[in-house]
Amino acid sequence: MKLRGITLTNVRHFAGKQARLSGICDGVTVLSEANEFGKSTFFDALHAVFFEKHRSTGKVVKALQPHSGGAPEVAVDLEVSQGRYSVTKRWLSRAFARVTDANGKIFAQDDEAEAWIGTLLAGGRAGPSGLLWVRQGLMGLEPDAKDDRDRDIATRRDLMSSVAGEIEVMTGGRRMNVVLDKVAAALLPLVTPTGKPKAGGDWALALDDAAEQAAQETVLREKVRSLGDDLRRRSDLLREQSRLGDPATVAGRETALAQARAAHQATLAHAGLQTEAAREVALCDLTCAATLKDIARLERFSARLRATRQDCDRAAATALTDRDHAEILSAKERSLAEGIVRTAADTRSLRLRLAAAQKGQLAHAARQRVSDLTRSLQLAEDVQRQLEAASAQRRLISVTPQAVALAEKSQIALDRLAARAEAEAPVLQFTYSGAERALRHGEPVEVGPLRIVVPTEFDLPGIGKLHVDPGAERGADLAAALAAAADAHARHLLACNAADLLAARRDLHASQRLDDVLRSAADALASIAPDGLAALRDACSHAAAEAGLAPNAAAEDPDALDLLVSGAEATEADARAAASTAQALAKLAAEKRAKSEADLRSAERAVAEGTEEAGDPTVLAMALSAHRDQLAAQQLRADAARSEVARLQATAPDLETATARLSRAASVVDLARKRADDLRAELASLNTRIELLADQGIEESLNTVIEARATAAARALRYDAEVQALFRLRRALDDARAQARDAYFGPVLRELTPLLEILHPAAALQIDDKTLLPVTLTRAGVHEPLDILSGGTREQLAILTRLAFARLFARAGQQVPVILDDALVYSDDDRIEAMFTALHRVATDQQILVLTCRQRAFAALGGEHAQVQVTDL
Amino acid sequence: MGLRLLHTSDLHLGKGFGGFPEAIRNRLSEARHTAIARLAQAARQGGATTVLLAGDTFDTETPSPQTLRHALHSLAEAADIQWLMLPGNHDSLAATELWRKIAAERPSNLHTLVTSEPLSLAPDAWLLPAPCTQRRPGRDLTEAMQAPTPAGAVRIGLGHGAIADFSGEEDVAGIIPPDRATRSGLGYLGLGDWHGQMRVNDATWYSGTPEADSFKHPAPPAALLIALDGQDAAVKVTSVPTGSFRWLSAQIDLLPGDLSRLTDALPHPRGRRDCLVKIAVTGRLTLADRVMLDADLARIAPDFGWFACDLGGLGTDARPDDLDMIDRAGALRHAAEALLSDAQDPALTQTDRDLASSALSRLYAFAQADPA
Repeated sequence: MKLRGITLTNVRHFAGKQARLSGICDGVTVLSEANEFGKSTFFDALHAVFFEKHRSTGKVVKALQPHSGGAPEVAVDLEVSQGRYSVTKRWLSRAFARVTDANGKIFAQDDEAEAWIGTLLAGGRAGPSGLLWVRQGLMGLEPDAKDDRDRDIATRRDLMSSVAGEIEVMTGGRRMNVVLDKVAAALLPLVTPTGKPKAGGDWALALDDAAEQAAQETVLREKVRSLGDDLRRRSDLLREQSRLGDPATVAGRETALAQARAAHQATLAHAGLQTEAAREVALCDLTCAATLKDIARLERFSARLRATRQDCDRAAATALTDRDHAEILSAKERSLAEGIVRTAADTRSLRLRLAAAQKGQLAHAARQRVSDLTRSLQLAEDVQRQLEAASAQRRLISVTPQAVALAEKSQIALDRLAARAEAEAPVLQFTYSGAERALRHGEPVEVGPLRIVVPTEFDLPGIGKLHVDPGAERGADLAAALAAAADAHARHLLACNAADLLAARRDLHASQRLDDVLRSAADALASIAPDGLAALRDACSHAAAEAGLAPNAAAEDPDALDLLVSGAEATEADARAAASTAQALAKLAAEKRAKSEADLRSAERAVAEGTEEAGDPTVLAMALSAHRDQLAAQQLRADAARSEVARLQATAPDLETATARLSRAASVVDLARKRADDLRAELASLNTRIELLADQGIEESLNTVIEARATAAARALRYDAEVQALFRLRRALDDARAQARDAYFGPVLRELTPLLEILHPAAALQIDDKTLLPVTLTRAGVHEPLDILSGGTREQLAILTRLAFARLFARAGQQVPVILDDALVYSDDDRIEAMFTALHRVATDQQILVLTCRQRAFAALGGEHAQVQVTDL
Repeated sequence: MGLRLLHTSDLHLGKGFGGFPEAIRNRLSEARHTAIARLAQAARQGGATTVLLAGDTFDTETPSPQTLRHALHSLAEAADIQWLMLPGNHDSLAATELWRKIAAERPSNLHTLVTSEPLSLAPDAWLLPAPCTQRRPGRDLTEAMQAPTPAGAVRIGLGHGAIADFSGEEDVAGIIPPDRATRSGLGYLGLGDWHGQMRVNDATWYSGTPEADSFKHPAPPAALLIALDGQDAAVKVTSVPTGSFRWLSAQIDLLPGDLSRLTDALPHPRGRRDCLVKIAVTGRLTLADRVMLDADLARIAPDFGWFACDLGGLGTDARPDDLDMIDRAGALRHAAEALLSDAQDPALTQTDRDLASSALSRLYAFAQADPA
């Protein structure tokens, strides 16, 4: 397709006018006009003819409408392989699309016209035209809008994949996309982007179904197994129950039990006989023993009776002898008692006489004592008086040794001070010439020196008075000390209650002497009257009283009487001793007599008792004989019983064995009954469980689930196989496309490289796998991402890339014009010149329409210049 | 007129068919249930009043209450028919709960053959049953058919189990001797266990299941009408169709341009709803034929109650023309050639070759969706 002319009617800038652009040649055509001329209006109108449906009322179409309104209309003259055609579109009002041929004949209208236009563009905006038309201000290789980018990528992919195969048709690339889309569409419901089963997808559902069925199968298998176990168990139990309840078996158990019971009873009966026999033996033994005891008792009675009779005879003889001896001794005792009476009377008489003599002796001693006590009392009373007198004197003296010591000490101090005063006092030397004498205190002062210790006044006869002062100033301290010492001494003397020290010492000596007297008197008094004077007086009075009662004189000599009394008492004592001995002997003889008599009476009683107990000895002997006969008979019976016991023991069955047999038979019956009960209980439990599970039809469910699981698993495998096949296909497609990409980059680069050489000698472009666009420019070995290049360079590369694609389109038989609307705005003069060269290089087989306002810069572009003719409507 | 009996077996009531979609599964289960009524009708039409059920009436030892009740009610509804039910290996006497319930709930026209005691069918005809005691009893239960019966009476055996063992071992326990009828003086021996109808000898037959439940047996399911006219007369055995579903299994070997062999093997469209089809396709097709085959299968599958076609054994021959249909050149063509190369590369495993072949088939199909 090649453009030949464009006519705008009532379009935007050309309101109410018609503007026609003509002179478009096969190569480069330039429309260079100033701003506001309407170049972009031509570009937009041309774009709308090819890409906006005539019924469109979108903003693109409305943008073509002039401010004054009306319906914009655009007509494009073009040339295709079939000939020249004119395409006209009108929008908004009475919209239409029309294609007319070179003769003006309508070739297609409206939708058919739109379809025809679409074939020219090989895909509309998604085709190569959308890729090659460049608006103002192009900076990069890709549009900003994502949809536009995707569309362009798809277009490039179609173009390149087709070209790479060197196939003239472009559908090969699109078919690859279709296949890829179908592979993706087929995989989409099955797998995730990472290739795993997609949740909710058929594959995942099949897997889930298989897993769910498997889980159910496990549960059901367990239930079936449990049910089967229960059923088998129940069958076993029922068989066992049947065996237990079998009448023959039951009868056998009962018979065995009855037989065991009978045997046990027989054994017990035999054991009873044995017991009875043993009891008979024991009874016979007891009877024999009792008889033996009776015999022994009777024999004992007989012997004891004989012995008591002998004892009685001996006691009677002894009693007779003892009675005679006692009477002899009793007579002797009486005789001796009479002798005692006589000697006692003699002794009593002598004692009376001795007592009288002793009383007289005592009275004399009492009077002597009164005399002694009276003297002691008088002495004591004297000492008492002395003591009281000394005590009174002592009380008058109050001085103490300590006070006297203090007075002596103060006296010494006073004397020392006085001596000092005297030594320091002035001395007056009195000498007289006459008899007259000086007087002191009225006393004459003799010749000689006189020490004046204190102020002293002298009468000097005929002269007057002389007052001598030893000097107050000189001895003030001494005087004071002297006065103080005198005062102290006076106080100490006062304490001694003495006028001077001598008196004090005298009083002290007197007091010490009185103290000695008092101690001596006290000691004497204590010696004379140790219990006190009053006690002494009482003793004296008492002794006087006793002395007053005593006889005055003694009749006989007490000592002689005492000897007589002693002789009488000895005689009496001898008599009493002899009498006592006789009495003791008599008493012993009497006691022996009494004892023998008692023994006799006791023996007599024993004889009586023995006779009473044993009876008549004859009868006793008969009884003894009878018991002995009885004993012999009983021993025979016991022997017979023992023989029976031995016989029974020899024939006795084993009771333990019989009991064990009975126990075993009973336990068999009991166990059978208990087992029957247990079986009933377990069967009831099993029946419940079986009914619960059996009613669920679990085996049917299990079979169904097993088949369903297998089906689901097979389905999952089919999906797996399908996915694997699709993955394999996708991998093959990816591999093929990767190989093809390497191939189709070649043609692009072959077209692009000479164009790039014009601007950047020895430079190279690298193409991105995904966008299929140059991504890096390599100059002098330096790789530069397009993003960091200058706006002018990016602009130039974008246009060069489009020119390269345009050449690919052309080689593929798709002649599509390249239209540049104010492109290359960022390029400097040198580069723009180079770009012009590149445009011309491409224009050898490519129509290029350049719209620009840069008249001077594009003057060097060359090519043909289009004309615009504007007419009013 | 002599004794007339209808011999059938292996109803497998309660079989779940879990491997099938729910819609057909329910229909198959229902068909097994309604087989009882069809058997009753077949008996009436054949002049028989007694139906011998030679085991496996139920699919499991513990069928659901619904399965059991429905079965008993259906048996009861055919009040003019006497049903004699023999335990098989699926519903052996070990299924005590099942037989307890049947004994408790059975209708008066149902008699269970739970012992091997001879049963008088008529004054001069005795049935000698050999009920399965266990799922695998491990002995020849038909030995019980040696039991004596009144002289001159017709003796009819009814058993369940295999009459042949294919393991190759001799004297396998539990195998019914093929000459059991002769050994035990039986006028007829009816057997169950084999789901297809099979004649062992003149007097020994497997009736097969009255309603097919798998693709194993190609013959239409049927029961056997037995006519015995006295001890010395030969038994007359007549097969009576009873099935409602047809299970069709086929293996078809296809060659390029010979797709009609597949459609020819399928039944007429009118009966397809009650037909289950499982086809295994082998051979080799071109890519174009393969696409056409896929389209044909997708078209005809909904006609059937269930349809499955295993194409795993079908190879694909890719010719240059086929690859041109994908693309004449370019990436698609390269991808197709690479897949074809892998599919034919003997150095690869069969799995990888099959995978490449499948991928190529899909590529072809996808490419045809957007023809050049």
